[in-house]
Amino acid sequence: MALARAESLSFAYPGSTVPALRDVSVGLTPGEVTLVLGCSGSGKSTLLRAFAGLVPHFHGGRFSGRVELAGLDTRRHGPAQLAGTVATLFQDPEDQVVFTRVLNEVAFGLENVGTPPQEIEARALAALASVGAEHLSGRLVAELSGGELQRVCLAATLALEPRLLLLDEPTSQLDPEGAKALLELALRLARERGTAVLLSEQRPALPLELCDRVLLLDDGRLTFDGPVGRARAWLEEHHPLFVSAGGDVGVHLHHFGEVTSRLDGVSYAYEDHLLVLDDASLELRRGEIVALVGPNGSGKTTLAKLAAGLLEPQSGRVDRRGRATYLSQDPGRYVLRERADEEVSVGVHGDLAAASRALAAVGLAGHEARHPRDLSSGERERLALAAVLAPEPDLLVLDEPTRGVDPERKHELAALLRANRRRATLVVTHDEAFARAVADRIVSLALDRELVHA
Amino acid sequence: MRPAPAAALLFGLAAAALLARHTASVAALAAVLLVVCLRAPVSRRWPYLIGSLGSASALFVLTPFVERLPGTVFWSGPTIPVVGTLDVTSTELSGALFNACRLAAVSLAFSAYALWLDHDRLVQAAGFARRSVLAVALATRLVPALERDAAGLVEALRGRGVEPEGIRGRARLLSPLLAGSLERSLSLAEAMEARGFGRPDATRLPQPRWGLREPLALAGAALAVVVGVLWL
Repeated sequence: MALARAESLSFAYPGSTVPALRDVSVGLTPGEVTLVLGCSGSGKSTLLRAFAGLVPHFHGGRFSGRVELAGLDTRRHGPAQLAGTVATLFQDPEDQVVFTRVLNEVAFGLENVGTPPQEIEARALAALASVGAEHLSGRLVAELSGGELQRVCLAATLALEPRLLLLDEPTSQLDPEGAKALLELALRLARERGTAVLLSEQRPALPLELCDRVLLLDDGRLTFDGPVGRARAWLEEHHPLFVSAGGDVGVHLHHFGEVTSRLDGVSYAYEDHLLVLDDASLELRRGEIVALVGPNGSGKTTLAKLAAGLLEPQSGRVDRRGRATYLSQDPGRYVLRERADEEVSVGVHGDLAAASRALAAVGLAGHEARHPRDLSSGERERLALAAVLAPEPDLLVLDEPTRGVDPERKHELAALLRANRRRATLVVTHDEAFARAVADRIVSLALDRELVHA
Repeated sequence: MRPAPAAALLFGLAAAALLARHTASVAALAAVLLVVCLRAPVSRRWPYLIGSLGSASALFVLTPFVERLPGTVFWSGPTIPVVGTLDVTSTELSGALFNACRLAAVSLAFSAYALWLDHDRLVQAAGFARRSVLAVALATRLVPALERDAAGLVEALRGRGVEPEGIRGRARLLSPLLAGSLERSLSLAEAMEARGFGRPDATRLPQPRWGLREPLALAGAALAVVVGVLWL
């Protein structure tokens, strides 16, 4: 018997002529972990929001069909009424935090759903303990690392003891170890409690090992719904990049040109005096693509910023030859101008022709006149990439360019980077499959700040 | 100290600064509040101090040019159509100093509230006005959030080899900053609704009892207002 069911669900966001979901019918069973896959913009997050009642209540738009959760029709019961029966863990933990202290944050949902006051603290602490974060209960949310914050947010959802748990790309900001730990934990707890889980992910390798069932959305339509064993074979035939390790993007080179950036024994500490990098050295040569991997907090971004000249080392030396550009993790930072081509032209002194070429290179030809904020999340990522490609740098530094990017777009990105060997490229990534696919050399940065070259 | 009485005390000091009639009294209140703010960590306090002291300084500098009060003329400038002759007199300067101290005291009281109070507890202590207090607490967090966003926008620009220069360069960041904060507020609102915010049957985490300092702070707040009206 399905706990939640969508029947002939179609939905279009306000102002959009293209439906985000088209005639989707699916049921979710207690204790079953269902993985929903699909390219960016295929409707995965919209489906999760429909089961939470956020679609259509929070977003508005055109809704047809029916969604039921524990016998409640979501058209008549809004998200606040459904909270507790369903709980959602969103992609970006920083966008869902309400309170400043961990215990209060976990208690917030319990307070909202009317938990008896004398039970709230005990249940919040138990939820924190269940995710191994009880020691964080008195900490300020702002002091937590990305992994710790995502655990706290998971505790906040589990504290509600929901019957349906919705996980919307919950590991996109975590390193592979952290992602594995979080997913295994969430799914083990859900199975123990008989909770139905609907999980959306862009790095499908691990979830495919843990889930029972797979859905695939393509342009808003449900094109596959079946057990995980059958899903692997189907994906290999129809979407091989979802089950392969990054795909073939060409020959990996071994001979490169001149050095464009050399970091020699650099150290860096932020204002809180925590030493992030200690005596690290790295050399980047023209034509070479280097992937920088390592756990959260190991100093990857700091090293990348030092290479790009955004930070100056407190000791050691950085030599750069030519121009460096740096792609930030957040594509929302490339929205300063009113048009896409003007935004891209910022780094090339307003040269709109160069901007148009860069937009075309990332597949955004014809989008020149659109406002950057009107672009979809996937298009914004490409716009940001175009903005750092347009100056034709000698050193291109990309910080987590595959966050929230589907496997097929990752493959395109790898091919794009490998097509140009006139520059050195440094890619900071948590995505090991992408690193193997794109890089000539992988440099691993450990928590003890030791660089390991492979 | 629990946040509600502390907020009341800060409110009392700000009210006293608004009610006082002597520049020295207002300046003393501003100095006390400045000391409180200076005890906060450097990385957190500087946007508040720049905002508070910067706006007070701007008020002090501009007021004599827009007021026309008699007194000893220290400087006389050109005649501007509609505005008249620009001059700076002793009365205008003393009035400007008084109002600048007032503004500094009130904005430093807000800064101390933002920097020192546990906003979570303030929200939880709020009775019938919990939703309003939560809105204020979230708005208070806007300042550091905007600061982080601004740093991110500048970093993305520098990553393209562009340094935002001067007031004009930084002013161009205001519009994207505002739009970004609106986007984030929507995400937060969605997450709050998904977690049941707004349900009529909401309960709250029990609060610990008050100690001696809390009623003392409330008394201090009331005293500050009375003293402000009668003697300062």
